[in-house]
Amino acid sequence: MPLINFAAREINYKIVYYGCGLCGKTTNIQYIHRKVNPEARGKLVSIATEEERTLYFDFLPLSLGTVKGMKTRFHLYTVPGQSHYNASRRLVLQGIDGVVFVADSQISRLDENVESYLNLWDNLMDQDDDLTRLGFVIQINKRDLSEIFSVEDLQELLNHTNSPQIETCALTGQGVFETLRTVCKQVIAHTGHS
Amino acid sequence: MTRRKGLVIRDKQMWLVDDILSKLREVSGSRFIALVSTSGQPITTSSAEEYPDTLSLASLAASSFAATQQLAAVLSEKEFTLLFHEGKESNLHVAQVTDQILLVITFGRETQVGKVRLYTGRAIEVLKPIFASAEDDSEGEMAIDTDYSHLADEAIDSLFADLE
Repeated sequence: MPLINFAAREINYKIVYYGCGLCGKTTNIQYIHRKVNPEARGKLVSIATEEERTLYFDFLPLSLGTVKGMKTRFHLYTVPGQSHYNASRRLVLQGIDGVVFVADSQISRLDENVESYLNLWDNLMDQDDDLTRLGFVIQINKRDLSEIFSVEDLQELLNHTNSPQIETCALTGQGVFETLRTVCKQVIAHTGHS
Repeated sequence: MTRRKGLVIRDKQMWLVDDILSKLREVSGSRFIALVSTSGQPITTSSAEEYPDTLSLASLAASSFAATQQLAAVLSEKEFTLLFHEGKESNLHVAQVTDQILLVITFGRETQVGKVRLYTGRAIEVLKPIFASAEDDSEGEMAIDTDYSHLADEAIDSLFADLE
């Protein structure tokens, strides 16, 4: 469930971009930050190393405007992808409503993708959560490169929840907003009362 | 299946909270106070001067505090219940109110750390029971009804319409 503030008439959702190191999580957020109307977004906060690898997280707040009298916001976060930063990943996952799993399409990154996907499930289980109760989208990134897996192969490997999957090239922005739009809708569908 | 834990703040709670934060700011001599969720989202603020970037502040303060808790675990300490950063012109104090709520205070040289800590501790004791019912989110779930979901869907399409 999101943070619902009836007094301030606000609803805040938290969405996390997850995936192995260098799969394109930060590139997604940076592209969104560049392209979204500045009035609809806040400041991009990045806690990164000197080599511009994510050390803790990136954070970008997006405003959807007022929906049925409630100011609605999506707080977008990334996690550090490198395997030894798991303690930081677990902290960023606290209180989430949705996940975008960014898969690196390159054949050479198979092990890292699978390890990251299993790690996501483990970390969610540790906080009594699981992907079937969250908004969840699989982004199949780096489709512009050669020596990549087919979409069908990656679906079989990583999408046993039968969740929406979107082919992207985060560097050029192809599919970045389709991913974001899909996960935002998923998040609302999963937290709603009907 | 257990429902996922959320946080719902109601009008009555906020009236009480805003009053407490305002008094705390006065008696402690602090500049800015915010209540934020441990997942990094702002709840309310009390400020004597221009607002800092509350969204970034909430995200960073909650993350710092969460990292501090992990440091405690590494050091086999049960918990660190507060976080303090000392600056040249201003200081930051973060303390835990409940499992899901943190109190963030900034103050300058015009007051003393001890005074801020003393009054913050007292304020937390008053704030705790107010939020005891905030984790009962059944009312919140009702707020996100079919009508809201439909309108939110339209707003999402509109926000990203020219960007795909």
